Amino acid sequence: MQSETERLLAYIERNIERTLDDCTTCGKCFEACPMTAYSEKLTGKSGGDVAAGVLDILRGTGGTPEALEWTRLCTQSAVCIPACPEHVNPMLMMRLSRITALGSTGGAAMMADGKRDPNFFRRINAFAALQFTDTEIAEQQR
Amino acid sequence: MVEKRERVVFWYGCNAIRHGDIIHSAMAVLRAVGIESDATGGPGYCCGTSKDGNLAAAAGMAARTVEKFNATGRDKVVTWCPSCHRHMGTFMGGVNPAKFEVSHITEMLHARRHLLAPLLTHPLERRVVLHAHTGFHEVDAYPLVADLLRLIPGLDLVVTDFAAPGHMCSALAAVPQALKDVVRESVDLCAAHDSDTLVTVFHSCQRLLCGLATTDGINVVNYVNLLSDAIGIQPPPDEYAEWKNAGSEAAIMASVGPDRIAKIGADFFAKQVLPELRKLPEK
Repeated sequence: MQSETERLLAYIERNIERTLDDCTTCGKCFEACPMTAYSEKLTGKSGGDVAAGVLDILRGTGGTPEALEWTRLCTQSAVCIPACPEHVNPMLMMRLSRITALGSTGGAAMMADGKRDPNFFRRINAFAALQFTDTEIAEQQR
Repeated sequence: MVEKRERVVFWYGCNAIRHGDIIHSAMAVLRAVGIESDATGGPGYCCGTSKDGNLAAAAGMAARTVEKFNATGRDKVVTWCPSCHRHMGTFMGGVNPAKFEVSHITEMLHARRHLLAPLLTHPLERRVVLHAHTGFHEVDAYPLVADLLRLIPGLDLVVTDFAAPGHMCSALAAVPQALKDVVRESVDLCAAHDSDTLVTVFHSCQRLLCGLATTDGINVVNYVNLLSDAIGIQPPPDEYAEWKNAGSEAAIMASVGPDRIAKIGADFFAKQVLPELRKLPEK
């Protein structure tokens, strides 16, 4: 029987395979992305080349600096989804790229996890203690 | 047309906890239209979406939360947070069999707007600008919220063409200039439409923009508090905004009060809570 981690990994791998099968690296997702304007590294780059770099991240063969930068910049704007002529769901592709680039699927980490914060949940619990009754916390948050 | 009373799980997520007023108002508005909610949230019900760098943690959180929802026996989970909603529709639900449907609160309220409309008897005479994002593609939440707000007598709702990137403002945290651009655009839109009130749909927009009261004289209010107010249910105070706009560390500490600070520990409050509350929106 698979563990919950193995099931999640299998889900991720299925979606990576589907993305690799369906993406034609036309670059329309990159062209539509509102976040590329926020990086000099991405200025003037070919959408197709950057998308191909993302697929390399998903394959585990390493990504280009531009592909990693685009992965870092993705804010889940979803603007890429209707732009994709192959219905790949590029927003999910970028999430898979992030998961892979962080080294979570077993390969080497290619980027730092900017969201790692040891006090993330402690702060949430602190705000709960400030604004919720003990009974609410016991009944709703445990 | 939806008429029957329902009992659902209301899953408000983790970070919305900073805004107890929003959660309490949301529950009050749901109740007003016939939806009783078993509210849940916090790290104990985390979806795991923040754990892309730690799959074991992400998988464990997702499995535990789906199992808890399954164990309630409720056939519907109503989400607040777009991240939780998205994660449930992909990584959580794709791996862990769920015995419940998932709906977003904006869908639930919109489906019952015929029940909500007659309850909105308290006019709110003000012009407000709706703050929107592009990214919550699973649910077209902004038109739904706009429809709800248009039911409030006296409220002059301005819906603009501007939609910020991301599914809510916190998504922009990794790109500070993008967040600054959204802050500036929000201020400009209020000025252009002669409004002093910005309406948020999601909690992290409320969190990151409520300091505009200090920086630009703009009140930032969540839509569920407007609905609650218009029903005649006094919304709880937006304490997070009060603290953020208190003006100094001493004023924040006085507003929170020594008993509550002691409850979470003075050292933790000083190191982890105060800096967040002191940070105001930047343009």
